[in-house]
Amino acid sequence: MKELFKYSLILCLGLSMSACTDLEEDLIGDITDEIVVKGINVGGPGGGEGPLTALYAELRNAGTANHGGYYSIQEITTDEMFIGAKGGDWFDGGDLIRLHQHTYTANHPFVNGAWVQTYNAIATANDNLGSGNLKDSEVAQARAVRAYFYWRLLDSYGRVKLVTELDQDPPQANRQDVFTFVETELLEALGIDEVSASMDLSNSLLGDGGSAYTMNRYGALGLLAKLYLNAEVYTGTAMYDKAEIAASYIIDSGKYVLCGEGCSVPNLGKRPRVDADPDELEGYAAVFAANNEGNPEHIFSVRYDEATGAGMNFANMNLHYSSQFTWNFQEQPWNGYATVEEFYNSYDDEDLRKEANFIVGPQLDFSGSALLDYAADDDDIQLNYTPEINELAPNSQREAGARPAKFSYKQFGRAEMDNDFPIVRLGEVYLVRAEAASRLAGNWTVAEADVNVLRARAGASEYNGTMTADEFLAERGREMFQETARRTDMIRFGKYNSEWWEKPTSEPFVNIFPIPQEQINAGGGLTQNPGY
Amino acid sequence: MKLNINSMTRGALFVLALLLCNFTFAQRTITGTVTDAETGESLIGANILVVGSSTGTITNFDGTYSLNVSNDAKELEFSYTGYSSQRVEIGSQTTIDVSLSAGQQLDEVVVVGYGSQKEKEITSAVTSVGAEDFNQGPITDPSQLLQGKVAGLQVYNRGGDPNGQSVIRLRGISTVGANTEPLVVVDGIIGASLDNVDPNDIENVTVLKDGSAAAIYGSRGSSGVILVTTRTGSKGKGVEFSYNGQTAVSTAFNSVPVMSPEEFVAAGGTDLGSQTDWVDEVTRMGLSNVHSLSASGGAGNTTYRVSGNYRNVDGILENSGFEQFNGRVNLSTKAFNERVSIDFNSSFTNRNSDYGFNEALRYGVLYNPTAPVLGENAPFPFASEQYGGFFETLGLFDSFNPVSIIEQNRNQGQRTEVTYGARVGYDITPNLEIAGRVAQQKTTLANREYYPTTSLFRGNATSPTRKGLAEFYDEITSFQLFEGYATYVNDIGSKSNLRVTAGYSYQQNNFESTFLSLGDFPDNSLNFGNLIEASQDLQNAGFISADRNVSPDEKIIAFFARANMTIDDAIFLNASLRREGSTKLGEDNRWGLFPALGVGVDVNRYLDLNNVDQLKVRVGYGVTGALPGPNGLSQEIRTVVNGDDGSVSTELNRAANPDLKWEEKAELNLGVEFTMGRLNATLDLYDRDISDFILERTVDAAVFGTDRRFENAGLLTTQGAELTLGYDVIRKENMIWNTGLVLSTYRTTLEEYVVPQEQRANLGAPGQNGTNMVVIREGEEIGQIWGPVFESVGEDGSPVLADLNGDGQVIGDQGNALNPDADFQVLGNGIPDLEFGWTNQLSFGDWSVNAFFRGALGHSLVNTFRAFYEPRISSQTSYNFVNTDLAEPGLTSAQFSSLYVEEADFFKLDNLTISRRFSFEKGSAIRGLTVSVTGQNLFVLTNYTGTDPEPSLVDYGSSDNGGVVDFSSPDVLSPGIDRRYSYFASRTFTLGLNLNF
Repeated sequence: MKELFKYSLILCLGLSMSACTDLEEDLIGDITDEIVVKGINVGGPGGGEGPLTALYAELRNAGTANHGGYYSIQEITTDEMFIGAKGGDWFDGGDLIRLHQHTYTANHPFVNGAWVQTYNAIATANDNLGSGNLKDSEVAQARAVRAYFYWRLLDSYGRVKLVTELDQDPPQANRQDVFTFVETELLEALGIDEVSASMDLSNSLLGDGGSAYTMNRYGALGLLAKLYLNAEVYTGTAMYDKAEIAASYIIDSGKYVLCGEGCSVPNLGKRPRVDADPDELEGYAAVFAANNEGNPEHIFSVRYDEATGAGMNFANMNLHYSSQFTWNFQEQPWNGYATVEEFYNSYDDEDLRKEANFIVGPQLDFSGSALLDYAADDDDIQLNYTPEINELAPNSQREAGARPAKFSYKQFGRAEMDNDFPIVRLGEVYLVRAEAASRLAGNWTVAEADVNVLRARAGASEYNGTMTADEFLAERGREMFQETARRTDMIRFGKYNSEWWEKPTSEPFVNIFPIPQEQINAGGGLTQNPGY
Repeated sequence: MKLNINSMTRGALFVLALLLCNFTFAQRTITGTVTDAETGESLIGANILVVGSSTGTITNFDGTYSLNVSNDAKELEFSYTGYSSQRVEIGSQTTIDVSLSAGQQLDEVVVVGYGSQKEKEITSAVTSVGAEDFNQGPITDPSQLLQGKVAGLQVYNRGGDPNGQSVIRLRGISTVGANTEPLVVVDGIIGASLDNVDPNDIENVTVLKDGSAAAIYGSRGSSGVILVTTRTGSKGKGVEFSYNGQTAVSTAFNSVPVMSPEEFVAAGGTDLGSQTDWVDEVTRMGLSNVHSLSASGGAGNTTYRVSGNYRNVDGILENSGFEQFNGRVNLSTKAFNERVSIDFNSSFTNRNSDYGFNEALRYGVLYNPTAPVLGENAPFPFASEQYGGFFETLGLFDSFNPVSIIEQNRNQGQRTEVTYGARVGYDITPNLEIAGRVAQQKTTLANREYYPTTSLFRGNATSPTRKGLAEFYDEITSFQLFEGYATYVNDIGSKSNLRVTAGYSYQQNNFESTFLSLGDFPDNSLNFGNLIEASQDLQNAGFISADRNVSPDEKIIAFFARANMTIDDAIFLNASLRREGSTKLGEDNRWGLFPALGVGVDVNRYLDLNNVDQLKVRVGYGVTGALPGPNGLSQEIRTVVNGDDGSVSTELNRAANPDLKWEEKAELNLGVEFTMGRLNATLDLYDRDISDFILERTVDAAVFGTDRRFENAGLLTTQGAELTLGYDVIRKENMIWNTGLVLSTYRTTLEEYVVPQEQRANLGAPGQNGTNMVVIREGEEIGQIWGPVFESVGEDGSPVLADLNGDGQVIGDQGNALNPDADFQVLGNGIPDLEFGWTNQLSFGDWSVNAFFRGALGHSLVNTFRAFYEPRISSQTSYNFVNTDLAEPGLTSAQFSSLYVEEADFFKLDNLTISRRFSFEKGSAIRGLTVSVTGQNLFVLTNYTGTDPEPSLVDYGSSDNGGVVDFSSPDVLSPGIDRRYSYFASRTFTLGLNLNF
């Protein structure tokens, strides 16, 4: 009996010994390796992103057009937009007031948000580049897109780590080094040593045109033009000549045209019973419409889509709760972002961009009836967006402020919008050339030729020897409203630290955001920017 | 080869079959009665044990017992809580009646890991609670039986949502990355679900509090161990039936004070012409019924108990509650001369829950009190039919008709749970037993939510195109357990003995879930909540949300050994060692070694102090490991990114950490047990270090490719004291009064952390994002509520904050909250300084009264209802205003400050039970009948203005505008936040009947 027991025990243990201590973890519900499945319809509407799908998606994920990160810190720190504290609503611990009044600190959640978003995008680029799965042309695209994200860091934070491979931990680079890195990466993607009048892009691995969703030569050159325009701010050395050459190259290529008369799309926001709603959006308004894909002015843009390309939430961010019923939105908006009164007033009434960029006045619902706000601050229960704003805080009125509407809203829209967001568009390239040429010439009237092209499209009166630096900045603001350009522009024109509505003067150190404390705490040896 | 539990089982059964040979030993049955020596009353549940073996039984309700003993058994040991044990030589007796004297040395047998020990031999902090001491009333969750009964054990189900899960914690938090609750062991089945045990079936609960006791369970015992023993049958009895029935009514204990319609209009509120008490509209008197029937008995060597339990509990919130059926079979038998013992337990639970919508309470508080319930009563034309006939304040943020929420929507779940376990033991020699245990458990959960096309709340009734929403969540969790161990017992001389246990344990957990959410239903004429094919989302891209999670085979494998030694019947030594491995860690760090050591000395045996019955001093030290967090802790995790051209790629979501190692808890416990006449006292002091605790932390996104990664991130220490006092105030023939007090206090300090200081617990929308209410700092205790101090109301209606550092400027904005010159301070602590429970058992004749008081002192709560809705914000005039005694009427803007932090000390009469026992003639069909009335939450003394002053130990974050609270990821570092989704506390009266026949 005992023998039998012994042997059977040995038998059991022998059979199962290896399993008795097997602790291999085989995750079956999670993905632990990089996987790339090529598109089944490469060359379709997405332009055949292929292995770079995740990287191009990062343009949407990186806070380009939503609340709490890059877009927010570029917009509500300027004289374009603000978010008022409405009693208890939108106070948010004073975070929004601090952005408006330039009292942001290293603990600001949006400053951290923008950083994390951008580095996550860079990590995806590094991941792709390190995979060995990319064709040469895709490597060039990935490097140029990564350079764009580093440009964001250069512009916002100045001194950052230049990480180009996963698990690499270089020391924090100074702003000059970051500038040089962005410039070099873009030049290499373009296959040239420098931007010059005689440059030849034919060796570039980037495409010569094509979908704006894919980084091509003109996109990369446009980014370089913007980089050179701000070179003096970033490095102390002006490079307006290169900015002008790059911009001219794009304009002269003839690949892109301004969307003007006859360039139109159906107005997806039209209410059938409201005659004032146009049937079509034409010119400037068409460039930013919900159905703006393939617009001839777009050189490099972020593809947003309500179903497959989430990340643009302007309807929620900008509109009052009740405005849901004007457009039959799927979700209730949040009543947050509004336009600073003075900025709104800087548009002439005949300027078509005024109507395209803002929503003001008494609001009607889908059927043309008055839109009601049961919690109206005033005695009028009809929702009425007033350009006038009583105060920034603590009791900014719910209906105060013209609402941004450049990226126009469509009927039955979802929280995720459809409008593509241009990062490089021909309109801005004209402005880059105009400004660079003027600065080189030391004479702002040089800018008038290019500026008047844009004014004409907008139906606004032309400049005739009256251009000044301030006027140019104002005009640039009118054209580029809501395109995350204003902060960079105000800094370049030395106006970012000035006083404006509900905003006292600020110290120059705030022109570069603080390195987020959370990132310093992460232990990678980052040091804080001066002043914070 | 892969380990397959079935083959393991088969192997074990094969071995068993080989073992089933003919050993025949003569045996006999001994019966008798155990009584109180002083009063002559029978003692129910007294232990009888054959000395030197594990054979034993307990007395039944009559105080009688019946025990089969082998012929070589020499002595029986009789013991009972609070009474001195007696040993009686068996000789040739078949009837042994024993009278035990009270107030003497304790000699109770307590279940500990992989065996049991005499209480006096235990060298660690262990508390045992018998059924007679459990909380009464319609219990919805077995952990509530213990609330306030065990020093150091925190059980809080704030508000008393019948479907809410209690937060259970032993000696404070044990890790920061997850809410780790004590390990539950039911009848030896490690990790069995407490939800699959009906409170009526529980005989005894033993709580292993310190590291030295829990170390034998390894990582899963790191947060303490709760050992549940269910009732069994008695030998030598015919079939005995017991019925237990309860009927209870519950009402809302209190509510959040808000303005009446008149006050609201006078305060400038928008008058919508009606008068509605919204909280009253969504609450009700909840009726509950509990029926339990059990049959038990024993024949020959076999004992059994079969029970069925039915619970139907209606919450005080309309359409909330559950209906549950539970069945349990416990079977024990011995064979082959009692050398082979087989224990089998099985239990099944089916629970249908109406989770209801706590949001109805939240919006009940803040909804306009002049708004009508129905759209037809609106003061202006209103499209009622679009909203199911209900009125809605369209165009407002975070505002939903509460009656519509509960009337139109459904939030239901069905949970089915099956557990079974079998233990087979074989006495190789009288001193050596080998045993194997196999257990499996499977839980399925199916949650269904349906929001019809007419519901504004989540049903999107305003949308012209996409209305209605249905959500489906299905989850299967299972585990398998196989253990084999051997126990060697030997007496060394008459007063010393040695017991050694060693074994192997294999545990495997699996999890799988599927979530599907889709909407856009044509209308509500069919039950579209079940007809997903009617969803128009199927025709549209981007609306359907589907998610599936599958765990790998999560395994814990361990080898363990323990030795207990008693010297001179007065010095007790316990030592254990466990080597444990887990699939969660990287290859090099998989295995951990966890030792424990304990020493106890019955000092009085040497001091021989007058009148002192016992004075035992014990010291225990143990190290356990823990691995909180998901599977794949140490691995790289990616998420899918879809392109619109059909391409798919992945991006990094969490970085790998191959160096991740075990989180370790080392705990030193010093205890003193003292008994003198009618007084007994136990004092435990402990010091606990949790080092290398595991946390998903922010790392440098630039370097790791993503900013999340699990790391061993810091050190947490807890020092605490627990005191248990018992005193027999009156002990007379017809009147007994026992009183007991348990007190506990602890302090947890974050010694090392990834950052020097950090803010947590965002207040949330509307308007209070970026407002963190809690701070944690290296070197300081956790639970600190942090903010500016309210001084007065400013001219513009905004709060004036105090200049705390007197530097002439007030820095009270959240962006500077952690700056040294900010005017912020600690406004309270979410963790109580002292928690106590006070029991009183009074019996006279057939009557008995059980009064249990409970309280906590020193904790604060942030009353978030007040923080959002008490300021008279002009743009919120279509929401009601909270209006407590603390309201500052002139305040017109909301900003978090000390104004909303309230001390929440409380003292409550938690449970009062009055019962009468009816006696019956011997031999009558009815053996016993007890009728009782129980009241819960009869009074609460507190200054807290919210609905429930009980501590809030974890935070689930904020939610707004119909959003869903994620209860799966509690933040344990942010105690003290009373969120707006709390269920309201209730008061319950229960009529109970217990019949034995």
